[in-house]
Amino acid sequence: MSVSGTDGADAGAADRHAAATLAALPRVTPARLLRLLTRWPEPAAALAAVRAGRAAEALDGADPRRSDVARSWAAAVDATAAAMTPAVVRRGTHVLYVGGPRYPIDEGIDDRPAVLFAEGQRLDVLEQPRVAVVGTRAATPHGLADARELGAALARAGIVVVSGLAIGIDGEAHHGALAAGGTVIGVVATGLDVVYPRRHGALHEQVREHGLLVSEQPFGIGPHPARFPVRNRIIAALADVTIVVEATQRGGARITARHALDYGRSVLAIPGSRRNPAARGCNELIAEGAQPLLDPADIAVALGLTPGSRRHPAKDRVGLPGATGEERSVFRALGGEPATADELVTRTGLSPGAVALATAGLVRAAHATRAHGLVWPT
Amino acid sequence: MLASIPSATLLGVDGQPVWVEVHVSGGLPGYHVVGLPDAAGRESRERVRAALQSSEVVFPLKRITVNFAPGNVRKTGAGLELAVALGLMLAESVLPEDCLHGVGVLGELGLDGSVRSVPGTLALADVLRRTGIETLIVPIGNAIEAALLPSVKIRSARTLAELSQCLQGALAWPEPDTPPPAAGEDELVGSEPLDLVDVRGLATARVALEVAAAGSHHLILAGPPGTGKTMLARRLPSILPPLDPDEAFEVTRIQSVAGGVPPARLARHRPFRAPHHTASTVALVGGGSVRPQPGEVTRAHRGVLFLDELGEFPPSALDALRQPLEERVVRISRQALTLELPAEFLLVACTNPCPCGLEAARCRCTEWQRARYRRRLSAPLLDRFDLRLRVAGPQPADGPGEPSEVVAARVLAAVERQRARLRGTPWRRNAHVPAGALDHYVTLTNEVADAWCLVVEEHQLTGRGAARVRRVARTLADLEDTPAISAEHVALAASLRGEVP
Repeated sequence: MSVSGTDGADAGAADRHAAATLAALPRVTPARLLRLLTRWPEPAAALAAVRAGRAAEALDGADPRRSDVARSWAAAVDATAAAMTPAVVRRGTHVLYVGGPRYPIDEGIDDRPAVLFAEGQRLDVLEQPRVAVVGTRAATPHGLADARELGAALARAGIVVVSGLAIGIDGEAHHGALAAGGTVIGVVATGLDVVYPRRHGALHEQVREHGLLVSEQPFGIGPHPARFPVRNRIIAALADVTIVVEATQRGGARITARHALDYGRSVLAIPGSRRNPAARGCNELIAEGAQPLLDPADIAVALGLTPGSRRHPAKDRVGLPGATGEERSVFRALGGEPATADELVTRTGLSPGAVALATAGLVRAAHATRAHGLVWPT
Repeated sequence: MLASIPSATLLGVDGQPVWVEVHVSGGLPGYHVVGLPDAAGRESRERVRAALQSSEVVFPLKRITVNFAPGNVRKTGAGLELAVALGLMLAESVLPEDCLHGVGVLGELGLDGSVRSVPGTLALADVLRRTGIETLIVPIGNAIEAALLPSVKIRSARTLAELSQCLQGALAWPEPDTPPPAAGEDELVGSEPLDLVDVRGLATARVALEVAAAGSHHLILAGPPGTGKTMLARRLPSILPPLDPDEAFEVTRIQSVAGGVPPARLARHRPFRAPHHTASTVALVGGGSVRPQPGEVTRAHRGVLFLDELGEFPPSALDALRQPLEERVVRISRQALTLELPAEFLLVACTNPCPCGLEAARCRCTEWQRARYRRRLSAPLLDRFDLRLRVAGPQPADGPGEPSEVVAARVLAAVERQRARLRGTPWRRNAHVPAGALDHYVTLTNEVADAWCLVVEEHQLTGRGAARVRRVARTLADLEDTPAISAEHVALAASLRGEVP
């Protein structure tokens, strides 16, 4: 592709539109798409081949349905192109394809998506260092705070935060990075015209403005349970380092971490209490060899930006200035871990009323928060 | 040729006086019933005819008109039949003219002339007493029940023939069998006595239960299965204050209407109703177009309505609870009638946090499933609970709890204090005090008012929520026998109104 001048621009546009059309064909899978664009590296050529009914040449010889698929592609290709091309132009969608300009994923990754759709103001995030921050949707307040702080710390270091725009850790990492003035990449499992989860509509808009929304799904594709784990491989592939903040034993974050390990990327996990089911996934990852993340500064080390660790000393709040005696004993009874009101009553020997009053005081002074029916030290 | 006998019919859980007028005249023989009778009332014609013939009274071959006055009230059931038969006998001079002067009559007839029990005798007798009737003839099966009314002379009737003899002074009035000894009745029938001593741990939930019992604050417990929510709620009857005489009469009257078996004595225990979650809206709040029946909320009047697995109830049935929860009566409006049923109950509910029942990170439900489950419990319904608690289950170190007896004594003392403070008002418990009267009956010192404002701000409470916290704080103070509400009470009241599910 060493063409230049107006011809080159046109050729580029033709290739991008062809790539979008190929990704939207019926019965297309990431594997089939990658085979197509391996056989014909220029999408326009691949499209011409599909139109001519020659797609079966590219598909896996062991795939019994390949001639069937090729026929249906040949039949559908014109209608698909007529739908996709105007939509791509109207929405200003960037179409990135394997081997094409700005395609962000390394060649060594076998199951990389052949075509990526991206929308947003900051296409430059594809040339910057990136770190994925992922975790469970059922996060604890501590996990959410960690995600937020990590997002902000990464943003301040000029690192792009990659995540999945889900409820919980993902969303908080995005929020933290955006609040600190950073740039982000949100990889979604739906078409870029679908907002899911709906309560993250505002976040979608912010990500478009200060980063990129990325998906391998064509327009109009809604959420489906099977597409989320598939999406996670893109998060792992886009990021140089993956950080797991909180993960359940069998959650999507574990899948992202496993992909990252497969791709030879470093994975960091924040350890947690064995009593916290939302930390179990992280602890297992560490047991399997992931590096424990004890402080946001550890990321800089993992990225090779700093030679040694520069951990900040942990906040020392044993004094709790201005706190009453009951507040102190309730805070001590928390012991850095969440507890129910009943547990606090048992541990302190105070009356339920005294514990409630002390908790209210701690919450007011921002030494504790309430969530999930538990009191959490901050 | 004309006789008029006072009787009564049921309207909801109240009696409605009915005058049974019987007119016998010459002309083409016939028998007509007028005055809005229901099907049972119209069928009474055949039963009255057969019963009279079985009692060896000659049925007159004349023109008979039976009128139930007032004509605009719908009459239900067969309880007017005995009055019709006696009216016929009076009009035909089978009975002496003045033998039924000032006497009310209730009863259904069998074809053999026997007098059968009628449901709701207590309510019917009560309304007749209010119209100034001093003597009542009731079926022998209802005689003990009717005798629960003070200042009314009760005559019991076994058969029509015997009744006729008694009225003429030829026979002594039959005496009803004495009720079974009272011993077994003190325990809750059909269940072993449940005591709070069996519940380990759950300190906060126990406080909430005690507050609910004392101040009549609606309570919802949320938590994973097996944490003791239902176990705790089932023990609520053991700490409820006893019924006072007025309340006992009200409860007995409702049992008489809705219970099936005529009550033999005044109720001693507050009702504890636990309908299954497949209950329909009508079963829950009452209704029915032809013959409106009291629902569970009315059967739970002055007692407890316990809804286990609240999230599994049909949402429409739950939303129908909102009006009775607020006004403590159920208004049923139908094309033919409107009526008001009492429904002053304490609502206690249990629910799981999500369909799988496990919390937070152990939960296997999708976000969508959780959201759908939460939507089943509408925000306006959840807002009506003064006490909303997540139950996490006991810890291994927890020992047995306080026995019910001790808690019940505290509750009773708190109820007495509320009664003294609210004397002269229509309210009995702290939870009933309307928001407008809080400044007068639930006062806060300046210092505590500041604490209350902080709590309102911190929990972002609505006006209604803030008032609820204040009432619960008052009940906490009543339970501790302290005249003034403290900041501690306010803090605990606010933490007892958490976010569920």
